Amino acid sequence: MSPRTRHSLELVLDNLVWFMLVFVLAVFSTLIPNFFQLGIFANIVEASSVLGVMSIGLALVIIAGHMDLSVESVAALSAMAVGIMFCSSGIGLGLQLHPDWLMVPVSLAVALAVGALIGVINGFLIVRLRMSAFIITLASYIWVRGLVLVVSGGRSAQDLAPAIRWFGIQRLVGLPLTAWIAVGCFVVFSLILAKTPFGRHLVMIGGNETATFRAGIRVNRNLIIAFVLAGAIAGLAGWLLAIRTSGATANLGVGLLFNAFAAVVIGGVSLKGGVGTLPGVYAGVLLLSAINTAINLMALPANFTQVIHGLLVLAAVLLDAFKQTIRQRLA
Amino acid sequence: MSEPLLVLDNVTKNYGAIRALRGISFSIARGEVVALLGDNGAGKSTLVKIIAGGLEPTSGRMLFEGKEFLAKTPAEAKAAGIETVYQDLSLCTNVDVVANFFMGREITRKVLGVPVLDERAMESVVAKALANAGTRIPSLRTKVEHLSGGQRQAIELNRFVHWGGKLVLLDEPFAALGVEQTRRGLDMIRKVASQGIGVVIITHIMQQAFQVADRIVVIRQGVVAGDVARNKTSPDAVINMITGETLAGAGPAG
Repeated sequence: MSPRTRHSLELVLDNLVWFMLVFVLAVFSTLIPNFFQLGIFANIVEASSVLGVMSIGLALVIIAGHMDLSVESVAALSAMAVGIMFCSSGIGLGLQLHPDWLMVPVSLAVALAVGALIGVINGFLIVRLRMSAFIITLASYIWVRGLVLVVSGGRSAQDLAPAIRWFGIQRLVGLPLTAWIAVGCFVVFSLILAKTPFGRHLVMIGGNETATFRAGIRVNRNLIIAFVLAGAIAGLAGWLLAIRTSGATANLGVGLLFNAFAAVVIGGVSLKGGVGTLPGVYAGVLLLSAINTAINLMALPANFTQVIHGLLVLAAVLLDAFKQTIRQRLA
Repeated sequence: MSEPLLVLDNVTKNYGAIRALRGISFSIARGEVVALLGDNGAGKSTLVKIIAGGLEPTSGRMLFEGKEFLAKTPAEAKAAGIETVYQDLSLCTNVDVVANFFMGREITRKVLGVPVLDERAMESVVAKALANAGTRIPSLRTKVEHLSGGQRQAIELNRFVHWGGKLVLLDEPFAALGVEQTRRGLDMIRKVASQGIGVVIITHIMQQAFQVADRIVVIRQGVVAGDVARNKTSPDAVINMITGETLAGAGPAG
């Protein structure tokens, strides 16, 4: 095999999920009436913002060889914190700040801080006390959701302050600002993961933690930062969720975790750690969103989505195994 | 001889009731190659981990360049100038050759104040280092998982030669190498030592020890069973020291 064919084959394998996305969009566009229009594509991007942002944090810790099951509950808690402070009805306190725009950075800071705090707790327990990330974050998944129920009393907050809502309404080139925030996050974190020493170290820690420790990389510090980032990013997802629903309910975002896992796995991230890129994860997120949109357009019962997502995850895992065999032949 | 580079003074290590090291004392000078021999379970790898940082001794002390020395982490040992090549390779197979070569010491340039990996600069350094050592790897951008055992070991060896430092610890570095590559590896060690770097090499192969070492230290059951200059002993005598049949030829060098 010439280096050229080998190189292009590697390129296809590395970006397989993008080819899948294009393929699926092409199929939907030809088979489903009214699918092929800008509005639909914008809707796919828009509908994927919360899931997309949450998947970034999840992908970071999985690539570093760990796990964070708490992201969904963390997003809900952040959304609830923002909802209680800045909603005017339900359990909202209707906090007013002057000038109005000040509520934007304050609410964002609250959401990020709530997320980062839980990230610190997760990271400390997992890294310093050497406990299993799966168990620790499973516990967080449960107790943080419990906290949401406790602070809300099971009730909801509605009517988010218009100054914050503005981000979900104001459009730029056909997309709401919330969607641009998600796209921006993917760009920034993709660059961090691929181009900075910190990102490189995370990937290597996911590959062989002992080797990185021996090489003098501060493994514990990097891992705690990864968990704090995952928490803070989940907090940002919660902020977007609060804007999207103009408030917060006690069961906000239930089930997002599994979609985030699906997106991460479909995007080519290995649960074993050390493998995967964030652009791939974004393609995975868009793929899920495209399928949801297609199901809506065809007026299929929404319950089908879950079946299809499940099959998609299965297909992704099989595909990953298949890719491994091809790569071994290449080498 | 000038002041020794590293001195071990009665270093012990207990794992619970098991006494892995029962008091090890020896020293290494600058530019000296010491072969550390001993049977399986004699405590060689434990000793390497204590010097390289990653394992704390139960008692005893070490002097590095005349100063009290104890590395709590490999990072501290590295900062002091101690490089280590471990028996089980320390490579991240999920990244490419260049990333492994520079693991933890990446070349960066600032873009808007953010450190960004300078891949081109790193690749050219690696290409030069590998070419100097006569190691051929098809593409430096290949992930290490696609390389053979010999190629992987060559990367590790070239890495230590490149970074140098003051003291190099090699824990069975030639286990996966072919004849030609081993010869080159031994040449590398002599070259490194001639730059004034102290080398400790652990090996099972008597022939290698006699080919490369200035001095041979034998460890048996956690103590130094022999410490002799290479030209004052023979493979048979060393084997006797390892198995403990006699102590002929034992005692401090020179």
